Amino acid sequence: MTQVRSKLDWGAFAPLRLKARSVAEGVFAGSHKSPRKGAGVEFGGHRQYVPGDDLRFIDRHALMRHGELLVREFETETDRDLWLFVDATASMSYSGPGASGPKYGFAAVIAAALAYVAVRTGDRVALDFLGGSSARSIPPRAGRDAFERVVLALEDVEPAGDLSQDLGRFENALGQAQRSARRGAVQVVLSDLLDLPARSLEALTALTTRGRSLQVVQVLSPAERDFPFEGAVLLRSVEGNTSVETDAALSRQNYLRALAEAQDQAERQLVPRGGRLLKSVTSDAPEELVRKILSSNVELRS
Amino acid sequence: MSFVTALALALSLFVAIPTIAHLLRRGRAQEQPFPPAALVPEARATTRERSRLEDRGLLLLRALMILCLAVIGAGPLVQCSRVALGRSGGASVAIAIVVDDSASMRARLEGEQSRFQKAIEGGRQLLASAREGDAVALILAGKPARLVLAAGTDLQAARRTLDELRPSDRATDLSAGLALARAALSSLPHQDKRVVLFSDLADELPPEPGREVWAPLPELARKLDDCGLLRAVRSGQRITAEVACSSELAARARSVRLVGKDVAAQPEARLVVQQGEQRVTLEGKTEGALAVELTGKDQNPDDDRAEISPESEGLRVAVHADSARERVVTGGAPLLEQALHALSFDAPVRPLPELPREPSELADVAALFLDDPPGLTPETRSALDAWLDAGGVATIFLGQHAQDTQLGESLEPFARGAVAWEVLAGSVQTDVTSLAWLGVEAKSLEILSPKGRARLDTALLPGAEVVARWSDGKVMIARQERGRGLLFSVGLPVSAEVSDLSLRPGFLALLDHAVGEALRRRGPRESTAGTEWWFPAAGNLQLTGPVGVLPLREADGQRVAAADVTGRYEINLNGRRETRFITLPAQEVLAQPKQELPAAWQRSAASSAPRVDASPELGWLLLAFLAFEIAVRLTRLLRERRAQGAIEPSSS
Repeated sequence: MTQVRSKLDWGAFAPLRLKARSVAEGVFAGSHKSPRKGAGVEFGGHRQYVPGDDLRFIDRHALMRHGELLVREFETETDRDLWLFVDATASMSYSGPGASGPKYGFAAVIAAALAYVAVRTGDRVALDFLGGSSARSIPPRAGRDAFERVVLALEDVEPAGDLSQDLGRFENALGQAQRSARRGAVQVVLSDLLDLPARSLEALTALTTRGRSLQVVQVLSPAERDFPFEGAVLLRSVEGNTSVETDAALSRQNYLRALAEAQDQAERQLVPRGGRLLKSVTSDAPEELVRKILSSNVELRS
Repeated sequence: MSFVTALALALSLFVAIPTIAHLLRRGRAQEQPFPPAALVPEARATTRERSRLEDRGLLLLRALMILCLAVIGAGPLVQCSRVALGRSGGASVAIAIVVDDSASMRARLEGEQSRFQKAIEGGRQLLASAREGDAVALILAGKPARLVLAAGTDLQAARRTLDELRPSDRATDLSAGLALARAALSSLPHQDKRVVLFSDLADELPPEPGREVWAPLPELARKLDDCGLLRAVRSGQRITAEVACSSELAARARSVRLVGKDVAAQPEARLVVQQGEQRVTLEGKTEGALAVELTGKDQNPDDDRAEISPESEGLRVAVHADSARERVVTGGAPLLEQALHALSFDAPVRPLPELPREPSELADVAALFLDDPPGLTPETRSALDAWLDAGGVATIFLGQHAQDTQLGESLEPFARGAVAWEVLAGSVQTDVTSLAWLGVEAKSLEILSPKGRARLDTALLPGAEVVARWSDGKVMIARQERGRGLLFSVGLPVSAEVSDLSLRPGFLALLDHAVGEALRRRGPRESTAGTEWWFPAAGNLQLTGPVGVLPLREADGQRVAAADVTGRYEINLNGRRETRFITLPAQEVLAQPKQELPAAWQRSAASSAPRVDASPELGWLLLAFLAFEIAVRLTRLLRERRAQGAIEPSSS
């Protein structure tokens, strides 16, 4: 039995390993293109030559025409890397009324289930965190061990920290993937998109270069979706120092309008750069969300 | 104060609990972590304001509810101003409710409620606390005091009668009202008897009210400022109005003006700023004026208008006596005239040198006295007949001249046929028992030592009633109704040489009785409210006044009407029309309520006032508070439900 190491109350999302496997078993894995590049039949584009590249793939025509060393790449029907980015800032520890667990727990189940699906189909899995304490990155790995490592890393993290004023840390978290993710890599960001620093969405869209797909899954609690409060309430943000005293009945419509606007704005920034925004609530069925992520990935590739 | 009462009152200290809870909760909104707080607009002012108002309202309600509970627990310690019937030992009570219906009770207290309305309301409250077995009598203390409901245990009838009472313009007669109340209760078997007086006490109070008298509404005796129009008389183009003011303040900036056709342009007469009575005169084009009224306002608007009555000399008492024969030795007017002067009537006494030949000669005569006339000519008899039908009262004293009638003359209508004079040799005395209707003075007529008498056989007096006899059974005085009028035939002359009749007090009592009857039957053209008008039982009679047709009652075989309200009254008796006026008694404006009751009255009030438990009222108040709190909470709940219903679930 998986031992929960963090202090987080996982609620209905524990134990993570079993939940994730259960979710993954319920998902039709389906065939998908592997992001692995190398010797193949389908031309996959050019890139700068780096020492150590197979000299057979140097494009001689380009060398003669432009005087630059470019290497030709080919896509093959093989496995692709799956890069998972899980938001572990303090706001993800929020459950709220009507939720069966914290947002981080839901995001971890989704991430672990995706990892399990990827590992079962022979793809490599990488994991990184946005914020969080005791967070450690998992570089791309394949095999059954990779799933175990992802699960352990997810369980070890304590949602904490505030990135709302720290764009540098946010970019650092994405930096390794931006540098190391191969062409065609599938990148999934699981975040509530709340309390993120300004221009964070621009940093996320930078991940969509070189044929890499990006799906941003917004994870909200039912309370954040519905605003079910009554009477006079003092609302305090988990990150930052925002406190708002308001009449719930009077503010409900305005809040819902502001939330929808923020989601529209995120979508407007992601879609033109090949990204996609998926909205979810912790009370949703995880299998459905995982299936939606996978099918959305297929649509993006096609 | 008992221990339980003190304990119950101590419960009021629990008011501190909701107060402390309110202070702790005041201004603090429910704190919630919420990551997307930045997306929530601030609505602090509205929230706080509404919350503060609702919370304070609810705090006040709860505090009041606790106080009500504590006071109810304290029981009879707290009393209210409701008039109620206290009873000792739970026994039944006999109460006589005396309501002052005089003109001063029309004055307005606060909120346009008159003293009379307040008194009736107090009476209703009193009757509401009465229960089966209690006896109730109702007395009106307007002059003259009247018993309107004899003491009885029918409380429904008492309530109904009380509701039917209406204010009047009568004078006040508290002493008689209280006496009537005591008399109404005297025969009842109840041990506990009370007299409850609702009056402004603007009258002479009896020095000792008795322990049972209770005046539960002292606010009725609050001093008010009032000017009232007593009467207005027309004399040619001049109209004279009599005004009474209770204070200088009431007379300030006020005038008398005419009311009627084409009088709007006529000048007003300014009142002199003084307390008391004053006369103002209005001259000019006053033909169309029907009434006068006071400008400005005071606390009794009902007495600010008076109908204009034509000037009249009033009613007279006429005396026909032979001054040569009847003059007393000491000189002066005849004995009969002097006796009538001595009685000091309101109506002036005028000698009638000759017997009337035309009815118009008796138009303003109410009572006619004839002393030993030799006979009445046909013209005189005709004039007398018409005058008697209109309500005149004639008294004839028959003497020696009764048998000296000339041809064509007779003593009709006093006696039919010839009346003989009989010389009395022996001692014939009066049958005093037959003279009881004259009162105690009748005894003085027992020994008259008459030297003779007119023989009045019953055959001579058809339709007459013998009201006094001689000791030998012969007729001494006969009484005969004639139309609205009345005839007295006395078998002795006034002359002191014939008998001692004119020297006895019983003689004055006889004259007084006759004049009283005359004034009652003719009725003065102008009188104060409450005056009774008497009419014969037969014939067609209708009286119309300011408040419609006046009701009539039967008394002593005649019809009686009492006019309660000031104004003009039209009388139609068998086609003969007559106008009379009722005026306002001056004391109803001038008499001030008793600000300080005599000591005996204060002791009476202290001993009679019951202690009224206010628990029922407080219980209802508590229920009202509770209902209000539930309503507030339901409103708040509905508002929150509506807000919840407005949530649109976002799609994931």
